[in-house]
Amino acid sequence: MASNLDITPEDLKVFLEEAEEQLQRLEGDVVKLEKAGHDAELLQEIFRAAHTLKGSSATLGHQPMARLTHSMENVLDKLRKKKLSPSADVVNLLFECLDVLRGMKDDIAEGRETTVDLEPLLARMPADAAAGPAPAGVKAAAAEAVPGKTARPSAGSPGDERGTIDVAREFVTQLSDTERSRIAAGLAEGAQAGICRVFFDQDCLMTSVRAYQVLLALGEAGEVLKSVPSAEDVEAERVGHEMTAYLLTMEDKAQLEATIKAIGDVARVEVSMAQAAPAGEAQGAQPTVAQAEGAREGSQAKKNATTVRVDVNLLDNLMNLVGELVIDRTHLAQILGRSEHGAGTSEAADELVRTSAHIGRVTTQLQEEIMKARMLPIENLFKKFPRMVRDLSLKAGKEIDFVIEGQETELDRSVIEEIGDPLMHLLRNSVDHGVESPADRKAAGKPKTGTVRLAAEHSESHIIITVSDDGRGIDTEKVKASAVRKGFLTEAQARRLSDKQALDLIFLSGLSTAQAVTEVSGRGVGMDVVRKNIERLNGSIELHTVPGHGTETRIKLPLTLAIVRALLVSLGQSVFAIPLTSVSETLRLTPQMVKTIKRKEAIVVRESVLPLVRLNRVFGMPAEANETGQYVVVVNTNGQRLGLVVDGLVGEQEVVIKSLGGFIGNIPGLSGATILGEGDVALIVDVGSLVKSETNLARIGLVS
Amino acid sequence: MQSEQHQVATEDKFVVFQLGGEAYGVDINKVQDINPMTKITRVPRAPEFVEGIINLRGRVIPVIDLRKRFGLPPQEYTRSTVIVVAEVEGNTIGVIVDAVSEVLPIPRSVVEPPSPFIAGIDSDYLRGVAKLDDRLVILLDLERALSRQEKSALKDKRFLQAAEKAV
Repeated sequence: MASNLDITPEDLKVFLEEAEEQLQRLEGDVVKLEKAGHDAELLQEIFRAAHTLKGSSATLGHQPMARLTHSMENVLDKLRKKKLSPSADVVNLLFECLDVLRGMKDDIAEGRETTVDLEPLLARMPADAAAGPAPAGVKAAAAEAVPGKTARPSAGSPGDERGTIDVAREFVTQLSDTERSRIAAGLAEGAQAGICRVFFDQDCLMTSVRAYQVLLALGEAGEVLKSVPSAEDVEAERVGHEMTAYLLTMEDKAQLEATIKAIGDVARVEVSMAQAAPAGEAQGAQPTVAQAEGAREGSQAKKNATTVRVDVNLLDNLMNLVGELVIDRTHLAQILGRSEHGAGTSEAADELVRTSAHIGRVTTQLQEEIMKARMLPIENLFKKFPRMVRDLSLKAGKEIDFVIEGQETELDRSVIEEIGDPLMHLLRNSVDHGVESPADRKAAGKPKTGTVRLAAEHSESHIIITVSDDGRGIDTEKVKASAVRKGFLTEAQARRLSDKQALDLIFLSGLSTAQAVTEVSGRGVGMDVVRKNIERLNGSIELHTVPGHGTETRIKLPLTLAIVRALLVSLGQSVFAIPLTSVSETLRLTPQMVKTIKRKEAIVVRESVLPLVRLNRVFGMPAEANETGQYVVVVNTNGQRLGLVVDGLVGEQEVVIKSLGGFIGNIPGLSGATILGEGDVALIVDVGSLVKSETNLARIGLVS
Repeated sequence: MQSEQHQVATEDKFVVFQLGGEAYGVDINKVQDINPMTKITRVPRAPEFVEGIINLRGRVIPVIDLRKRFGLPPQEYTRSTVIVVAEVEGNTIGVIVDAVSEVLPIPRSVVEPPSPFIAGIDSDYLRGVAKLDDRLVILLDLERALSRQEKSALKDKRFLQAAEKAV
């Protein structure tokens, strides 16, 4: 059944995206619920997300998912009505439901049949929740779900054939974010939100005219946010015998009813108001659903109002095209530079130069705008973590306050995709090995709840992501001992290491922090992989630790991966590009400058030793016969400096990074290729991996 | 309708190229483009059979010398040397061959299974041999011939080296 959902691929994609969104929201909110306890607003939000999920899964015809979300709704409703308290058991049960839902979503995505047996889980839902009827559609759920107190309809007699109109629910389901935010604003100004349902006489011959009059009258009485049929439909005479309008008004129910009834051919009118509870009233603390909804959605809605969803492939293609344009712009400038018909030689030449300059400017702007279009708030990634931290700390028996800051910071989606795993690893380290157990913390005179902080901020053209904790810190002695035990260095070498150098040992492969610091065997990737991933993104990572007070890891990343400024250098006939982010300076190299220390070449720059690496040797290329006119490109990454010896400096240029492709795969020392203005292909030097391969222990011992 | 289907099923089109004096055919559906020889940027530390990378109208793609791949003696590039651009396992790859001669429809009825004696090439790489009126065309399975999992190629090489030493 599940695999044969009657749905188009496009709809399925939308469903999956929405489901993922709701699931992530639910996870984040349930984590908050666990901490906040009973929070009416939060519960309402959770309820709404679960309800949305139920609605879309029912539309899809996915019964198991609809059943489970329905059952969750019942539990949430009990929580909301305070018939149930958000105890650890209840929260865990909700998490379990979410896990099952996620499994189902994945099954749908993979086109698999869902095989999960829901019965055991449903049976454990508190009280009669599981025994409730299968979802009979939104109407039934809505009627039972929304508590009367929060938004009791103030109109409609109980015997009314249409039954109770649930104003709040209708506002939530019928109105867009923007409209709801408008309502929130209106309510704040003291207006009332209402739904006005008008029924025209069956024999009315000109309903469109009457409908127009209704809209006009309501427009005078307040602000019509939405109507069914809409104003356009009314104008186009697409009107039935019934009309519903959602409005904000200063008038009361009776006034509105009177106004509408005065219009001809109106058989009946129903007005329901949802009004902001005046402060000081018995239930004053509980705002109406519409208000709460609107207020929360307000800021977001303003932002979403004029956005469209775009396939990421389209953005990638645009980026590629802009990349081409950037290359051509550079080429055009080069041609003009070479041409004898430069500016001033003829009118046509002048025009060519001007046009070329203009194309250059427009290309730069276009590039910037498309880069912006690819930017996403890092929240998209960060919101996955609260649940993970919660589960981990529960498992480790630790009490942790997880703080997220700067989640609105934007960066290129390709970067966001790549840093998920490294961040997850760092957070896991903080929870598992950084923060101590409550007992240990108490003994150390710290509050028993530890803090793990995840923060993002912009700094020029970079983003800095910090993962920090107030745990025990890293004991460099233990790290050194572990490195010695594993044969990475001798005890004598270890003794000579500075604290910073000792800390850097953590990044050695085979020496994970876990083993080094706590003897608990590490799982998943080690810090060496974290650093490798960060460096692959042209970023850097730094560790700071204060024993007994905590550890901070700072990751510095470029905002985008696609285009970087690079220094072009030559090796023999070949041109290589070195990303400028890691270049600190260039020097002319004369043979006299080169010293040999422990069989390694080095030069002295401003009284410090700079190890040299001859790029032609790294890449197995023949040495240039004339080694006198060479240059040193001083690169700096992760606090390590290295001098790359090259044959010549070609210039600076913006380059579009292209992957070498799956066929060639990863090559140490190279991070990709780029196309130069003339159409030639240049390889891009991966400074991070060069520095790393040079930063062996012999060198650490040497420098100290 | 039926006869049309009949025709589609019994005939495939192949791009025929020359390599070391033999005619080879690759499924036209795998071939994206045929380009004149262009400047190749060598990639240090790349797998041995990767000749380098080229700029294919703004894209960077790896190129492979099929002579090297098949262990044929190297030959200077001539004016007829071309790069056949093909899609292999999701990657776009350029293949250097001596010359491209034509696109040929080959009826399935004339294709025979590969015999292990052809040109000393691993029969795993072959789809078969087409016996046409006047000549033979060796039909290549590009996916297999260029697969990065060159286990069999490496094995063959080691085997050959060992055999050479033994002789």
